Amino acid sequence: MSRTAKILSLAFIAFWLLTALAPSLIAPGDPLAINPAQAFQKPGLGHLFGTDESGRDVYTRVVHGARDSLFIGIAATALGMGLAIVLGTAAALSPRWLDEAILRVLEALYAVPSLLMALLIIAFTGPGVGPAIVAVGLSTAPGYARLVRSQIRTLRRSEMLEAATVLGRGPWAKVRNHLVPNALKPLLALVTLGIGQAVIWAAALSFLGLGTPPPAPEWGAMLSAGRTYLHLAWWMSLFPGLAIVVVAAGATLIGRALGGKVKAL
Amino acid sequence: MAYLGWAARKIGGALVVLWLVATAIFIGIRMIPGDPAEAIMGGPGSQASAEALAAARAEFGLDRPIGVQYLMYLGKLAQLDFGTSYSLKRPVTEVMGEVLPNTLWLALVSLAAAWLLALLFAAASMRASRLGSWLGSMFEIIAAAVPHFWLGSVLIMLFSSALGWLPAVDNGTAAGLLLPVLTLALPLAGFLTQLMRDSLAAAMGSQFALAARARGESRLMVFWRHGLRHASLPALNLTGWAFASLLSGAVVVEAIFARPGLGRSLLSAVLARDIPMVTGIALFSALVYILVMAVAEGIEKFIDPAGAGA
Amino acid sequence: MQKNQRAARVLSSALALGLVSAVLAGCSGTDTPSTADATAAPSAGGTLVYASGDAEPSCLDPHVGGNYPQALVSSQYLEPLFTKDAEGKIIPWLAESTEVSQDGLTRTIKLREGISFTDGTKLTSEAVKANIEHLQDPKTASSTGYLAVGKVKKIELPDELTAKLTLSAPDNALLESLSMPWTSIESPKALKRDQAANCAAPVGTGPFKVESWEHQKQVNLVRNEDYVAPVPEAGRSQQTAYLDGITWRFIPEAATRYAALQSGEVDVIDNAQPDTISSAAKDNALGHLDAPRPGASNRIELNSAKAPFDNAKVREAFIRSLDVNAGISSLYFDTAKRSYSLLSSVEPLGISDEALFTTDVAKANALLDEAGWTERDAAGYRAKDGKRLSVTFPVSTNQSVPAEQSLFQQFQASAKAVGFEVKIELLDLSSWYGALAKHEYNLVSAPYTKVGPSVLRILYHSDSTVPAPSGYFANNAQVKNDQLDKLLTEAEQTSDEAQRADLYAQAQKIVLEGYYVLPLYDQQNHFLYGKKVQGMGATTTVSSPTYYDVFLAK
Repeated sequence: MSRTAKILSLAFIAFWLLTALAPSLIAPGDPLAINPAQAFQKPGLGHLFGTDESGRDVYTRVVHGARDSLFIGIAATALGMGLAIVLGTAAALSPRWLDEAILRVLEALYAVPSLLMALLIIAFTGPGVGPAIVAVGLSTAPGYARLVRSQIRTLRRSEMLEAATVLGRGPWAKVRNHLVPNALKPLLALVTLGIGQAVIWAAALSFLGLGTPPPAPEWGAMLSAGRTYLHLAWWMSLFPGLAIVVVAAGATLIGRALGGKVKAL
Repeated sequence: MAYLGWAARKIGGALVVLWLVATAIFIGIRMIPGDPAEAIMGGPGSQASAEALAAARAEFGLDRPIGVQYLMYLGKLAQLDFGTSYSLKRPVTEVMGEVLPNTLWLALVSLAAAWLLALLFAAASMRASRLGSWLGSMFEIIAAAVPHFWLGSVLIMLFSSALGWLPAVDNGTAAGLLLPVLTLALPLAGFLTQLMRDSLAAAMGSQFALAARARGESRLMVFWRHGLRHASLPALNLTGWAFASLLSGAVVVEAIFARPGLGRSLLSAVLARDIPMVTGIALFSALVYILVMAVAEGIEKFIDPAGAGA
Repeated sequence: MQKNQRAARVLSSALALGLVSAVLAGCSGTDTPSTADATAAPSAGGTLVYASGDAEPSCLDPHVGGNYPQALVSSQYLEPLFTKDAEGKIIPWLAESTEVSQDGLTRTIKLREGISFTDGTKLTSEAVKANIEHLQDPKTASSTGYLAVGKVKKIELPDELTAKLTLSAPDNALLESLSMPWTSIESPKALKRDQAANCAAPVGTGPFKVESWEHQKQVNLVRNEDYVAPVPEAGRSQQTAYLDGITWRFIPEAATRYAALQSGEVDVIDNAQPDTISSAAKDNALGHLDAPRPGASNRIELNSAKAPFDNAKVREAFIRSLDVNAGISSLYFDTAKRSYSLLSSVEPLGISDEALFTTDVAKANALLDEAGWTERDAAGYRAKDGKRLSVTFPVSTNQSVPAEQSLFQQFQASAKAVGFEVKIELLDLSSWYGALAKHEYNLVSAPYTKVGPSVLRILYHSDSTVPAPSGYFANNAQVKNDQLDKLLTEAEQTSDEAQRADLYAQAQKIVLEGYYVLPLYDQQNHFLYGKKVQGMGATTTVSSPTYYDVFLAK
């Protein structure tokens, strides 16, 4: 990772952390303040990103929305990845029958499309942020777990491990010195992408009215509201959409750079 | 014989997966608070009559012990009897038979389109300049980060409303399929290309690729003959995932583009709390997933025989 | 100016020719930009593509259940016994004449001769009996039509074309009830099929018939080649419909529907969003039909059976705290007119009282102080005895369009300024009914469409607070007032039109002045159509457009 890349990545992370933790520093206004007389204002000096259908300032809402959106994305991915590492590693290193059993459970989890699983979970718990996190986390877990398992299996067959076996290293040393860093690299790329995808899935749930309830400025909910007015007020959709794309794409770039670092360890 | 054994294990595994999904749904239905008969008939808002509730209790054996109910439920599923959709008042299998081909077609075309785009990008990246390669990777990353329902709306606004080039809703022609397929395929292609690109770079730097180059094969030739094969593996490994994500994406895309299909049925079934329909769709998509996985694994075996048996 | 003339011409010819079922857009004074060349002669042929934003009905027979999407589509293939003329007077349609006995308990209906259903069955009095019995049969699971014919106790058939209905009590709304699509007359032979078959292809006497139903995609309607107009239109070149057929598509996404209309893939869309209506008005390529539904206005009901709205002062404080007009004007782009009435603007017996609903934040605060909500909690909301002034507002995402949901969010913000916490819960239809059935609401917006002022009895009589076995009740405001009950019952039984109007006026005054309801606007019902579409405008009594007169310009 080059020095410039490091600085840029840190700046990116610091910026979004600041936005999520102290949005009022960047956007001092009230994200919920309505002003019907100012509805559908184009982006300009008064309203940097324009205003929405109730005259709320889109810039203020996008900034304040970072907290909800990022929190859902990160929490869901953490949940999914935690489960995946446990299941994936267990499957890869277990005797064949246990591997098969775990695989079947993963496939069963996996075989139900994420949105259906999310809807099933929400049917038990009712809509809201918590259920959305659990739903998105659970539905992404099998995907991660499969990759964890396949990476570890590939590595188990690799020259490196054969060499380690020849050298008489114990299984724990193999896991620590070879499997973890090598399996983590593609996983990290997937996780960083996963955060972006989790934000998008949570947005899809908000779009169905099952995620963050209005008028909270969550990006997915803002996108859903903006969709109705797409041909009249494109700025209502563009800016929350851009926020999602910037976060997801930025996280991916960092993940790639970090991936290199993990390998070097 | 090896293939017969493989097929037998596949079928056995598939049955286990279906059984697990069915069991999870059975538990799920019992976990919905309130009267399960009411849940089957669409929840407290469905205004189901007392007779209808009694009929549901009898049909699902809700007055019997839970173990008996479970066996009755599995028994019906084994006969491919998913019951009658309470909201559509038609047999679930009949509805599924109508909508499934639409969704499968959409998903398969989208999957093919995503692969095609991904291969083109990967190939282009082999020949591209530094700037071109950088632009390409930015494009992939952005494509993978775009939400389906936003992309769909933007494409409609652009190509139907503003330019009038393409139909917004399905009209039975290939043109009508273009926008929904693009909506599903673009994010997936971005995703696949990213996966392929890393392994491609590794494969192209590998011993045999260098040897082939030394034998005088062109870079592109090496790419097609060696690099691609190895680069495709991790992405191929995710084909099942890709397909399931396409089915999920179909929920949104079918709604936006007004296409009949599994996704749209699912959405309305879930909104109407149509449990027989939801059960049927979950099991059907599980079945579809298993079939796709088997095919993908077959292709994997073909490309990488050494690693087969996984 | 030419556009208005065109609208006026259609209206006057409709009047002159006795063309019925014409609650014309021109009447309500809203803009009806028509691109029609004023001299274009109707030409036969072509299939019209209609795109509906409503959920696809699960049954095409409007007897079953009975909601608005069913009314929209079934108005093309089924016809009612009665309808309204352009002046809003009830006139016979499939019926030829009708009379009621002195005591109001016997209603005789005589049918027209020479009309047949599309399965070849002749229209006879047997059909009237079969249809009313079908509506009353619990197995049909009718809700709207069931209520409409609730007072019919016995049906006798003195001859082939005469039906004699014996009522349990006088019902001056019966003809209005029998003019709605939910009580349309179907072939008695077809009704004998099992419900699935009848739902898939109901058989009527209308200008079109159901050819096939591609689920989730479209219903294919084709012209009824043997159509006999009950009231023939003089000078019309053909008595059958001009269109070869109608493709009735379901496109739930508002933006997609509008895009499909813009690109010419579809000819007519319903549930047009306010912003698109506004931009279509600027764009002469699209026509607009504004057909507000009859019955109740769109309004928010305040649950008076539960704290804090069991106190009239708190109800008034809530209503006074809101700036309703600013929200409506910005969100609806002036396509919806503010209502101060319990009834739709198309109901002649509705009364309106603007003064009750003006915004007055100072008064709202004073009323809340008087009611004892004087504390303020950390979040800035009012409280009493440590309990927050909090109200729950379940909103159905199926029934409230995005603009309405945004309006409610604005109310939430305005009410917060005087100390109310409004909890909006966006719910699917099934959960929404569930929340109402369990009384888990303080505020609710529940549209109700019915022809005539008798909708007031359904919505505000104390009997309607008693839930049906399913848990459903229509009196969401939980108004229980003996005097009101008496007025509503009498109003429905009197045979004197002036007395009827007076009784309904008194009843409305009680509800309005009790602050049980915040009226917003008429139930919005906007259609946009492409430039090829000519002759749009005729609707049924519930404002669902009919396409008998419509043709496609070549």
